[in-house]
Amino acid sequence: MFNLKQLLQIISYQENLDTEGFILKETKDDQQKAGKKDQGQAAADSKQRSGAGQQQAGADAQKDDGKVEQQAGKDGQNQVSGGEDEGAADQNKRSRSRRSFRKPVPSSGTSAHRAAEDGEVSASLEENRESIRQLYGLPGNKDVIIRDFTINTVPPVRCFAVFIDGLTDKVVQDLLFQALMAFAGQAAPASGEKLVDLVKDSLMPGNQVSVTASFREFLDGVNYGGTALFLEGCGKVLLVETKGWEHRTVDRPQSEQTINGPQEAFTETLRTNTSLIRKLLKSEQLTTELLTVGCRVRTYVAVMYLRDLANPDLVAEVKRRIEGVKVDYLADSGVLEQFIEDHPYSLNPTTLATERPDRVASKIMEGKVAILVDGSPFVLVVPSTMYEQLHTGEEIYRRWQFGTYVRYLRALSFLASFLLPGLYLSLVLFHHEMLPTELLLAIAGNRERVPFPSIMEVLMMEFALEFIREAGLRVPGVMGTTIGIVGALILGQAAVQANIVSPILVILVSVTGLASFAIPYYSLAFTTRIYRFIYIALGATLGFFGISIGLFIQVLLTSNLKSFGVPYLVPTGPRTSAGADVVTRLPIFFHESRPDYVNPQDATRAPKVSRTWLKRDRGERR
Amino acid sequence: MIREGSFGPAEAVILLAISNIARFFLPYPRSLAEIGGPAAWLTLPGGLLIVLAGVYVMSVILNKYPGKTIIEIIEEVFGPVLGTVFNLVTFSFFLAVGALFTREFAEAMIITALPETPISVITVAFLAMGLAGAYLGIEALARASRLSYLYVLGGIVLLLLAMIPQCNLDNLFPLLGRGPLQVLGNGSLSTAGVTEIILAGVLVQAMGGAGNFLSIGFRAMLLAYGIALALMVTLVMTIHYQSLAEFTLPFYQLAKLIYLGRFFQRVEAVFVIIWSVVGALKIALTLYGATVSLTRLLKLPDYRPLLWPLGLVMFIVSLLPPDMPASVRLDLVFLRPFALVPNYLIPLLVLAVYWLRGRGRRAGS
Repeated sequence: MFNLKQLLQIISYQENLDTEGFILKETKDDQQKAGKKDQGQAAADSKQRSGAGQQQAGADAQKDDGKVEQQAGKDGQNQVSGGEDEGAADQNKRSRSRRSFRKPVPSSGTSAHRAAEDGEVSASLEENRESIRQLYGLPGNKDVIIRDFTINTVPPVRCFAVFIDGLTDKVVQDLLFQALMAFAGQAAPASGEKLVDLVKDSLMPGNQVSVTASFREFLDGVNYGGTALFLEGCGKVLLVETKGWEHRTVDRPQSEQTINGPQEAFTETLRTNTSLIRKLLKSEQLTTELLTVGCRVRTYVAVMYLRDLANPDLVAEVKRRIEGVKVDYLADSGVLEQFIEDHPYSLNPTTLATERPDRVASKIMEGKVAILVDGSPFVLVVPSTMYEQLHTGEEIYRRWQFGTYVRYLRALSFLASFLLPGLYLSLVLFHHEMLPTELLLAIAGNRERVPFPSIMEVLMMEFALEFIREAGLRVPGVMGTTIGIVGALILGQAAVQANIVSPILVILVSVTGLASFAIPYYSLAFTTRIYRFIYIALGATLGFFGISIGLFIQVLLTSNLKSFGVPYLVPTGPRTSAGADVVTRLPIFFHESRPDYVNPQDATRAPKVSRTWLKRDRGERR
Repeated sequence: MIREGSFGPAEAVILLAISNIARFFLPYPRSLAEIGGPAAWLTLPGGLLIVLAGVYVMSVILNKYPGKTIIEIIEEVFGPVLGTVFNLVTFSFFLAVGALFTREFAEAMIITALPETPISVITVAFLAMGLAGAYLGIEALARASRLSYLYVLGGIVLLLLAMIPQCNLDNLFPLLGRGPLQVLGNGSLSTAGVTEIILAGVLVQAMGGAGNFLSIGFRAMLLAYGIALALMVTLVMTIHYQSLAEFTLPFYQLAKLIYLGRFFQRVEAVFVIIWSVVGALKIALTLYGATVSLTRLLKLPDYRPLLWPLGLVMFIVSLLPPDMPASVRLDLVFLRPFALVPNYLIPLLVLAVYWLRGRGRRAGS
């Protein structure tokens, strides 16, 4: 029969001691609290432990499990007192305080790994081998290869090479081993230091060789496709650059296709990407700084800028933000973008991610900073403005009239992409008087047989379009495109024939979709997709007044954004020197200065007269 | 110390000008037609002269106390008791303008676009926009006004151009309307009842300090009165002043008259977007002005915690007038004369006290 005490016990929270074992670190406060509560019990524990000898680290997980841990002693295994009856054990568990969480303690492997990682290379080959075994979890880890061999010096020197299978270039490695095993006929010095120098300077054919005594550097080198060479009697390790993993070759851009201009896109390899930029900007001032992000797995992040152009404060801020990212693993530049952007809660992206090296090169030439993440084919450019995100970079390759025309077309499509359905709903629901009678009758006639209210019609079609868009991306290859076209056509026509939507709405939603596709920056297009639904709701509830509420709030929020300290809507909000390349793309010879909002070290892009031949011609004119 | 942000002269000019022309989208032109008859438009140049004088006086005061806003100056000049009283007058003026404009814009929206929507919903929507703007700060508001002014101005210009076929020059005569005293006296005093002089005095530090004040103030008022003049002239020429005095929303009536062929007619709904954006800016600015005035008065470190309660007060006050005519009457009888106190009277008193003190000091030395 339940009494009050039992009832309270049932309804009060009790820790599930079987599963709550993942508190990684105990704070000092916890320790103090626990210390007071468990004083008596701890004393009992300590007595039992004192005779138990050294415990195996894996068994430490049960150390705090207040229940008596009986040490088998002889074989080092722990045994939980099995003879106790379960009822007593449960009672004991209930009486335990918060202190009695089962804390996972780093395994002996982890602590030894840390020690080895922070340690230095030994002169003994066997000790080094043991350290490497601990570091890489050998022999279980089959990717890591330790290749023993002898260098053909006089006298021969024992050594071993360490590398990760699949990350290295076998041809380069063959050359390396050949040179050391077959062609090294020189006398080996007795001193380890001199031996390392001899191998590095005279025997090793690699193009990038470094010497280190740190296991951390050794790990970084080998994990990044290098081959490490340990020599007998030498407390240093030689790291040879032998990268050669499988990778995608430089291809055409997938999401930023252009007709004019270069047709190369970045790949997933950091060094390929830096070289693609350097190939376009052949300048000694172009600087690539390498940073690492990630506590558990280190990812290289390259920061590229022109030393004599980029604002040093901007470069310092970019580096400060990247260095300030504390995460176990950085998967992509998109992840880094979310860590370093100014306004993570805003819909608008405040960095520019591009897969085109020519675009990055042109931005670097404006004094901006490029951020490349190893493994990502998208490069971030900061700071970025909204106008810039509506450019493709291609406009500059065309004649200015075409570029300007396309820009205005794109500006229109930008507005249409989020406003059109909301405006339509406002018109048909609130402001019919605006529509000429013929058009009004046509819309009414089409809607006559549709049983749904206009808002439902719009939402159904919009969601259908979103489904097609998402499905088109996920369905593989050619089928994706087919689904996109067929889906849109069949779905639209069938919906009209089934009297689910009116034909005019199909046209409207299609135009909205097309307008959305005309926005060149994917993240910005995504932003408008979400804004569109907000405007649909506002237009359907308050008509044009609702639309103006949305516009006002959107303008306020957008004008409040900053990208690395630069206002997002510059040069119109705030007003700064507009330059020749905002919406109207002026003739190329008017592009005399760089955007002043970046505060570049040199604002002049070209002299006042950049077509000097014209001047000469004038002089010679008859 | 309040962190207000800062914006450039171009943004400041547009911000003050848009704030000033907001009243012309309401029944205000109707009252000018009542005062001036066919010379309703002539009330504006006289008002402009008074406003420019007011801007000059404010600029003189601000230049004598660099680094301070009018709120701190008033307190310093009149002392803690009288200064607080005067500052409370300023604060209540902002609150009254905000509340009345909210009500009038809400009523206008019901008349023009949403006849079946409850007024509380529209008022809440306007106040939500105002709160959002005031919360994001004056910098965001200035940028937003700078971004939207092209559309506002473009809309007005299009409207005026579309009205050209219907303009009748005869409607402007007799040129002095109901007599020079009525037009240049009462009319000018009415059009001089603005919010922007004292608002600029409160925002002076965000606008770049007292150094730019005169130029910004003059340019803003010239732009605003220029637009207003064009609107009034077109209104009088298109709609006879007697009819004009009968319309609740003359600007809306003007937009209704647009007829550019069979397809482009009855496009007045488009102007709803323009004037609701202008209205929201005005409400946000007055709410911001009220909050910042009170924050400076109470010497608080941040204005944002006061926004919500003051927004609520504004909402409640805006719903106090029983109907549209009552709110219009409050605007004319109470708000316009009241505007003369914080914009002209208090600054003149500040200047007088400063001058008297200076004279006293000189006499003492």
